[in-house]
Amino acid sequence: MLVTPALLLAGCERMLNALLARDPAYPQRLDALAGSRLLIRLEQPQLALLMAFHPSGIDLLRAEDIDETSADAVVELSPETLSEWVSGSSVERLMFEGKLSVRGRIQLLEATQELLTDLDIDWEGELANWLGDIPAHSLAEGLRRAGRWGLRASNELMADVSEYVFEEGKLLPGRQQRDVLRDHLSELEISTDRLEARLNRLHRRLTQRLSQGDSGS
Amino acid sequence: MSPTEKPTTHFGYQEVPVDEKASRVADVFHSVAARYDVMNDLMSMGVHRLWKRLTIERSGVRPGHQVLDIAGGTGDLTLKFSRMVGPRGKVVLADINASMLRVGRDKLIDNGVGGNVEYVQANAECLPFPDNSFDCITIAFGLRNVTDKDAALRSMQRVLKPGGRLLVLEFSKPANPLLSKAYDEYSFRLLPRMGQMVAGDAESYRYLAESIRMHPDQPTLKAMMEAAGLERVEYTNLTGGIVALHRGIKL
Repeated sequence: MLVTPALLLAGCERMLNALLARDPAYPQRLDALAGSRLLIRLEQPQLALLMAFHPSGIDLLRAEDIDETSADAVVELSPETLSEWVSGSSVERLMFEGKLSVRGRIQLLEATQELLTDLDIDWEGELANWLGDIPAHSLAEGLRRAGRWGLRASNELMADVSEYVFEEGKLLPGRQQRDVLRDHLSELEISTDRLEARLNRLHRRLTQRLSQGDSGS
Repeated sequence: MSPTEKPTTHFGYQEVPVDEKASRVADVFHSVAARYDVMNDLMSMGVHRLWKRLTIERSGVRPGHQVLDIAGGTGDLTLKFSRMVGPRGKVVLADINASMLRVGRDKLIDNGVGGNVEYVQANAECLPFPDNSFDCITIAFGLRNVTDKDAALRSMQRVLKPGGRLLVLEFSKPANPLLSKAYDEYSFRLLPRMGQMVAGDAESYRYLAESIRMHPDQPTLKAMMEAAGLERVEYTNLTGGIVALHRGIKL
């Protein structure tokens, strides 16, 4: 159905613009991009998406029969590359790896990436609209403190684990020591086998001699 | 028809003199203008925004283009077009109804739109623009209210630049008989009641339901567009054919 992708795209566009609007620095950054059009062609699923920048946000439009010359830059990529690009991987690196093909104004691609990755969302301002300045500030401060504690705790945990592994690692045998031990064990195994065979032979001879003694008397 | 009888046209299910239809339609829209957006959202359950979105996607409008939004009502399409054409382009919001135009203008100004949008009160049958002026013309949910649709299509074709596109988004005939039945029930029973409750005007919404039934179906409108001189005319049914988007190109 034609309307379902339009609904999804409308939802994405709304979310993206709402996020951008939360960033106090976004008007300047969008102004620099306003009027530019970036055509994104996804390989799987096959989808052409036009990002049109204007001073108050981004329009996301499907562009099946668009004339490529009307876009400032055209980028062709796979969904995995798209997620790498949006999460901040270098455009040059992706291009050299052959995952990305770009025609037109390459700078537009970098500027779009910067716009999306450098989002500095003013959550506290939004919370203040709902809760009032002082409760929002204490809540945000509490969250920031919890965040800092979480970061510090995870850093400390990582340091402790690596130290433990390093110290305990010294007590573990190395590869060569293990090989020597395995050789000794094989030698021991062979010797015990040999001893067992010898004992069996002695036992056989003893029983033979005893049976001969019995028949002789 | 005797020579003394005036020619008539339909106004919903009624037959009215041709020169009366425009003023009757104007009365309907004067009455609903203030609550037009709320009613649109309520009646279509918000889907009209997606239909308009698809129209914009098919329009192929780009920076620097000249766009004419006829019967633009409260300016939904104009808002998006004004961003797409940028400061080098121009969008003309035209409507025959002064009340609708005023509501549309106020809404656009509230949304920070200015500079590249012009407002013109005009009749679609005789558009006051020179030949070959626009790269794209849209008429969303407006054509069925026009008295002489053929004249309106010819007029649009005249002001369209060669290579330009005309997009007609309009209610149409659902393809599925079951959907058609449900749709009839909805529009003749529920719609006037909703109109009464929200906009305090059941008659206007009864006219809306009736005018949709009197509007030409998909192939007829396609033929009319071709007769007006448009080429490569194609249509897409949206939401099972309740609405159809026709697109024609002037070559």
